[in-house]
Amino acid sequence: MLNRFIDLVLQIVLVLLVAPLVNGIIRKIKSTIQHRKGAPVLQLYFDLIKLFKKNMVISQHSSWIFIAAPYIYFITVITAFIFVPVVPQLFSFGFIGDAILVVYLLALGRFFLTLSGLDTGSTFGGMGSSREMMISSLIEPSLIITIFTLGLSSKAGSTAFQAIYEGNAKLGIGVISPIYLLLLAAMFIIIIAETARIPVDDPSTHLELTMVHEAMILEYSGRYLALMEYGASLKQLILITITANVFLPFGNSVIPELGLVFPILIYLAKVIVITVIIAIIEINTVKLRLFSVPNLAALAFILALLGFMSGFVFGR
Amino acid sequence: MDKLAPLLNIFSVGILISTFSLVASKRIMSYIKAFRIQSLILAAVAAIFSIYYLVEENRLEGIFIIFLLTVVFKVIYIPSMLKRISVRVEYKVEKDFFINIPISIIICCGLVILTWYVVSKIPELNNGYNGSFMVQSVSVILIGLFFMISRKKAIGQIIGFLVLENGTFLTAILLTSGMPMIVEFGIFFDLLTAVLIMGIFVFRINETFEHIDLNKLRNLRG
Repeated sequence: MLNRFIDLVLQIVLVLLVAPLVNGIIRKIKSTIQHRKGAPVLQLYFDLIKLFKKNMVISQHSSWIFIAAPYIYFITVITAFIFVPVVPQLFSFGFIGDAILVVYLLALGRFFLTLSGLDTGSTFGGMGSSREMMISSLIEPSLIITIFTLGLSSKAGSTAFQAIYEGNAKLGIGVISPIYLLLLAAMFIIIIAETARIPVDDPSTHLELTMVHEAMILEYSGRYLALMEYGASLKQLILITITANVFLPFGNSVIPELGLVFPILIYLAKVIVITVIIAIIEINTVKLRLFSVPNLAALAFILALLGFMSGFVFGR
Repeated sequence: MDKLAPLLNIFSVGILISTFSLVASKRIMSYIKAFRIQSLILAAVAAIFSIYYLVEENRLEGIFIIFLLTVVFKVIYIPSMLKRISVRVEYKVEKDFFINIPISIIICCGLVILTWYVVSKIPELNNGYNGSFMVQSVSVILIGLFFMISRKKAIGQIIGFLVLENGTFLTAILLTSGMPMIVEFGIFFDLLTAVLIMGIFVFRINETFEHIDLNKLRNLRG
């Protein structure tokens, strides 16, 4: 029991340390390709430390939701990470909760995020919240179909991530197959939409008319803003972890001799690979109009559906 | 040949994904980019076959020339020509559709299912080697056709025609593992002249009517 507890703490500490790094790498790659020097890779760590020290300005028209929302957002994301093992050696409560719980824990956090955007009554917050809800309702079906297909196709018969990883580790090189290719394409669109990246939302600007995520957290400052930013980067890491461990299943099976450090290094390498791909997608695309986002969502949905079909309908 | 089946399957899925991303986009530049990627994957399929013949049977088949032609024309020449045309006619984004994009993506998914249904009824195609990627390659033909009829502007329709042709090409290559040279050349130069003529047409339409909306060609103009 104590052992499992230590594993759990280790996993949480690991993801807390890695999450801001992902943002830093994406920003660095973007600035390098655009021939800028750019902020250092560790910039988000500095930002977070500074924000935690700062005072807060809280609108007097806001209610308790405004104060509770950052904590709820952060805690739901951390809780979701309990069910997403980063390396198979680390314990996870796989038998209590599975992928569906993860998806809806994230949805709960998002619900409070949108509420907090509406709470202060500023126009930007409301606009951001309604846009966020629209995007999430469009992208959720494809995420669920992707996860169900993964659960079915990994021969695990379970939607728990631990079981999916183990099933995929048995597949080995067989992961490069039509099902997984289609699901991977869908998953990249899902990551981009969920983490407010460029074709859907622009993470780097505060341009009023285009922002979605930034509009919702516009009223926050100090510690609460830090919690929101940290939560967002952790959520991004969850989706990247799922993609990395499912579609690059190398080192997913537990080998006791290797210890713990080597699998963690493999995990970090996989995360960096996915991060680089996301950065390259982000550079090569332009921001879509909001009313073009359904096109992208429909594409993700149909790719996930075709992935499901090519595995379980076409093959029969 | 059976050894190649998983590899070809992956590449044909890649072509299907690029076709879907084509249907989801509405900028001329993204049309051209998607078409270029699709042709690149098609060239890779041809390259796989030619390498297979070279290694296993130690002969250089005609399909190698097809690989070169695909790279030169479909990956380099035709996309850059289309780019030139789109710059000349100053026309960047498709604005109105007969069917809007999300519904047309769903219709394309329906076309894939239809193809699967038809292919699964043909017993000769269900021998393990062919059946799996026949669905993908034939549905690319149907989606190309659908793309042609769902876009109003001339460049979109040219791209639809090219995708349709890529689909036929893929189907032919996968089914016969390399057609006779003369047939391939016939198809290729047919396509090339068609695209050249259509490109000139787009210029002429643009000059005469000041737009390239084919829907408006029904009106007479003296």
